[in-house]
Amino acid sequence: MIHRESGLLKTSYQADMALYPLPIARWTVAAIVALAFLAVPLMLSDYYLSILNLVSVAIVGALGLNILVGYTGQVSIGHGAFMSVGAYTAANLATRLDAPFWISLPLGGLMAAAVGAVVGIPSLRIKGLYLAIATLAGQLIIEWTINHVTWISGGVQASIEVPRPHIFGLEISTQRQMYFFLLVFVVLAIVGVMNLMRTRVGRAFIAIRDQDIAAEIIGINIFRYKLLSFAISSFYAGVTGVLYTYYLGIANYEQFQITTSIDYLAMIIIGGLGSVLGSVFGAIFVTMLPIFLRITMETFGGLFFSSGAMLNIIPNLRLIVFGLLIIVFLVVEPEGLNRLWRNIRSYFRVWPFAY
Amino acid sequence: MRAMPALLTAAALVLGAVAPASAAEIVIGAQCDRTGPTQTVGTNLCPGFNDYIKLVNMKGGVNGHTIRADEVDNEYKVPPAVESYERFKKEGAVTVSVYGTPQIYALTQKLTEDRIPGTSPGFGKAAAADGTKYPYIFPIAATYWSQAAAAVKYAKDQLGGSLKGKKIAYIFYDNPAGREPFPVLEELQKLEGFDMRTFAVPPPGVEMGAQVLDIAQRYRADFVISHLFGRSPSVAIKELKRVGYPLKKVVGFVWGAAEADVEAAGGYGVAEGYSALQFAGVGDDFPVIKEIKEMYKKEGKPEPKEMKESVYYNRGVFLAAIHVEAIRNALKAKPDGKITGVDVKAGFEKIKNFTLGGLVPPLEITPTDHEGGGLVQVWQVSGGKWVKRTDWFRAYPEVVGKIIKEAK
Amino acid sequence: MFDWQFAALLLSNGVLIGLMYSLIALGFVLVYKATDAINFAQGEFVMIAGFVVAVAMDAYGAPLWLAVAVGLAGMIGFGFGLERVMLRKLIGRPVIAVVMATIGLAAILRGFGPMVWGAGTKSLTLPISEEPFILGPLFIPPIQLLGAAVSLLFLAAFSWFFLRSRRGIAMRAVADNQQVAMAMGIDVERYFGLAWAMTGIVSALGGIVWGNLLGVDVQLSLVGLKVFPVVILGGLDSIPGAIVGGLIVGVVENMAAGYIDPYVGGGTKDFAPYVLMIIALMVRPYGIFGKAIIERI
Repeated sequence: MIHRESGLLKTSYQADMALYPLPIARWTVAAIVALAFLAVPLMLSDYYLSILNLVSVAIVGALGLNILVGYTGQVSIGHGAFMSVGAYTAANLATRLDAPFWISLPLGGLMAAAVGAVVGIPSLRIKGLYLAIATLAGQLIIEWTINHVTWISGGVQASIEVPRPHIFGLEISTQRQMYFFLLVFVVLAIVGVMNLMRTRVGRAFIAIRDQDIAAEIIGINIFRYKLLSFAISSFYAGVTGVLYTYYLGIANYEQFQITTSIDYLAMIIIGGLGSVLGSVFGAIFVTMLPIFLRITMETFGGLFFSSGAMLNIIPNLRLIVFGLLIIVFLVVEPEGLNRLWRNIRSYFRVWPFAY
Repeated sequence: MRAMPALLTAAALVLGAVAPASAAEIVIGAQCDRTGPTQTVGTNLCPGFNDYIKLVNMKGGVNGHTIRADEVDNEYKVPPAVESYERFKKEGAVTVSVYGTPQIYALTQKLTEDRIPGTSPGFGKAAAADGTKYPYIFPIAATYWSQAAAAVKYAKDQLGGSLKGKKIAYIFYDNPAGREPFPVLEELQKLEGFDMRTFAVPPPGVEMGAQVLDIAQRYRADFVISHLFGRSPSVAIKELKRVGYPLKKVVGFVWGAAEADVEAAGGYGVAEGYSALQFAGVGDDFPVIKEIKEMYKKEGKPEPKEMKESVYYNRGVFLAAIHVEAIRNALKAKPDGKITGVDVKAGFEKIKNFTLGGLVPPLEITPTDHEGGGLVQVWQVSGGKWVKRTDWFRAYPEVVGKIIKEAK
Repeated sequence: MFDWQFAALLLSNGVLIGLMYSLIALGFVLVYKATDAINFAQGEFVMIAGFVVAVAMDAYGAPLWLAVAVGLAGMIGFGFGLERVMLRKLIGRPVIAVVMATIGLAAILRGFGPMVWGAGTKSLTLPISEEPFILGPLFIPPIQLLGAAVSLLFLAAFSWFFLRSRRGIAMRAVADNQQVAMAMGIDVERYFGLAWAMTGIVSALGGIVWGNLLGVDVQLSLVGLKVFPVVILGGLDSIPGAIVGGLIVGVVENMAAGYIDPYVGGGTKDFAPYVLMIIALMVRPYGIFGKAIIERI
């Protein structure tokens, strides 16, 4: 990731497809993993870990959405609803059958995958914005169903309290324990997407994105792969919902409404469509930016405004700056943070001999 | 890459900025929403909260301790609510004013584990009134269950003392909060023998012509109980008026009861006769509001414009006052000032005979009853302003109590 | 027994409110038709227009005609400016980039309105009666009649504009194929600006009518959510489609609330139009009046 190569020396197809093209890449990844698992939780306080936990959950969801939007080219504004499907499935399993998290989590994901595949059926005939709005319809219908079927939602309050997860008898409740718990799933999610995209399925997704008619002509069953993409992507969304449920200790669909779907879209567009690293960057950016802006303004805002006025100005200014940054990014770097990162890397690759 | 050093400096400054609180200071975590869908509430409620804290500090604090309200805007979203809660914890907050129903749901387990009391006045889970099941959640004002009971009671009084055979329409915002009163309404229906039909208004509730037509023309309700949020209370007032339904026979829950709702419905002339429930006083005729005005006068500043939206402003004052009172009780028990969330919880549970000159209902919070009685007043739009119609009352406590007990 | 009078009431209500949805949808369709851009900030456009008019009357005591003029001028300027500063830079980018940019714009406007003019609800009073016209069994509120009239007026005006006027024909050419239009000597960017300015006009009137109905604050932007089923049903690029889509959505919503809600115990009004929309899309993937895009490799 951060190393410099001295040229392209690959001689086989296997070498080109390898996740770690050079030994040093493996070392970098190992170092980052060690940092994330050992150094970070030792150094940071609960407060910063809680932010990282929110980021972790967001990374899983952003990766999932990127499979559908970034790699397969199908827009979805319904991912929030798939998250709530996962959340309620897991919550019901956990409270009614006392299922441990390692059962309820994959089952929550699978249920979301099934629902996601159904919502994806219109993608056979409709495309682009029409499809996006069809998924929005899916979101509203799922929300309505959860809201009104008390068998799913556990009562008129539509919220189910879930016990904390246990691993080997250890209850996971503090932010630090949660950090490790969530980080495992982040790693699994990243490895999963990276490998998926190296398989036949992943290549089919990319072919559909680039030119669906051409993909059909070379023998890709478009409908099947579109649905598969919806299903895998929704599986990730479902898992995100389950992780959220365990993190907060409650399943509540009001956490997964259209604004959530849009926030996740913002993550992958800002981070970079069709890129694993981009999803990670985007999740970090969108989750942390409002916090960063707020704290910055709290620190420096006192220089310009009275404290009473500041309390009103900070939240609104935060919205404005957030919107502006999105637009500036799109205008300046349409391929997102991932591209920016690659540009920096390719600059340093030849540095100091730029020409 | 020239931006890098600047970014790093900013990050370093930011990390340094969140310093722990000093010893003599007591921190209240105050969530707020000055942006997002319910900002008309937040922008008026939170100034009231802050002004009361300022007033307390100006008068020397609580037992010599300064109170600091650390306000964070959560935009009515859950992730910022979680993040700001952790920040309050880091700042050493001993009590948290949570804002929003999804937010209190998301924080319930954390608050209980961390043993920090959190309040949810007039929203959140009604079953949390049971302090034995939810030891660290304090609804402190009438829950939706108590509000439903009060609304039925008011309807009964308006319809001549009996509801037998009468038709009541319940028009509600179609979300969990809107459906929460169902169990109470159904129970009361059996008890009082009235007929009830429900009319759902799906979010965002900017249009409800069909529902209102149904109420007035097909169902021909004798009384309407409305439980709506955001812009929809004003739409309901306007549409009911349009189809010729007498607004005197409409009572709204606490989130459809503000000056802004009347204003948006087209002014006091249009809304004449509409009544609504309140869990804090309305208007500026209270000693504490006068003291706040004095405080501003002394500083040579004009009184805050938020004060004109007295419904929400006063609720902010009420909310802050309850928190401060709980802290006061905690400090009474532990005069050394080293209080924790557990002490403040006990402080909340000692609140009694605290009325702030009529602005706050005579709540009595106990370890089992975290709602404090579920008291409300009914106010009515009359002659260009909100006029008090009833004194503080609680309705059907045995029915509400039974449902709280039965709740999971 | 079927209550015909109640059904007629629901129908009239649906038609009127549907035409008011069309008023918002028209702005969306105009921009898509001319520039292929999808404006997720349509509701916020309406909100800002409402703010400008309400504040001009409330805070500055401007007479109605002046406030409306200020609102119109402001929104036209805003449309032109926006195209110049932001959207021109995004020409030729993938659709989703424009979508995201307008979502960012929506955030800016939602922050900007309350910050500058205050978050409180402002009333926007028009010199029309609150009392409904009573027409046999029907109640017709004057404001909804005004909204419907404005919608139909725009339908007529835009139909004339696109079919008869020189500029309208040029705009259609731009929409059809930007490169060929450019080669024919049409100043493409100018017409993009013009399209956004026209959206500004529609939004200004939408803001006045809806602002009167709901009061003006951030929540006014929620009417933007009503746009999607309307435009998808009608077809994204069809002006008559926006009107027909609005009518269908308005009527379906009211019928659902009147005849389905009592049986399912919940508000089906919100998603009934969406269900209808999906069914319609399976039959006609580009909406009822939308133009089918023929894809080639």
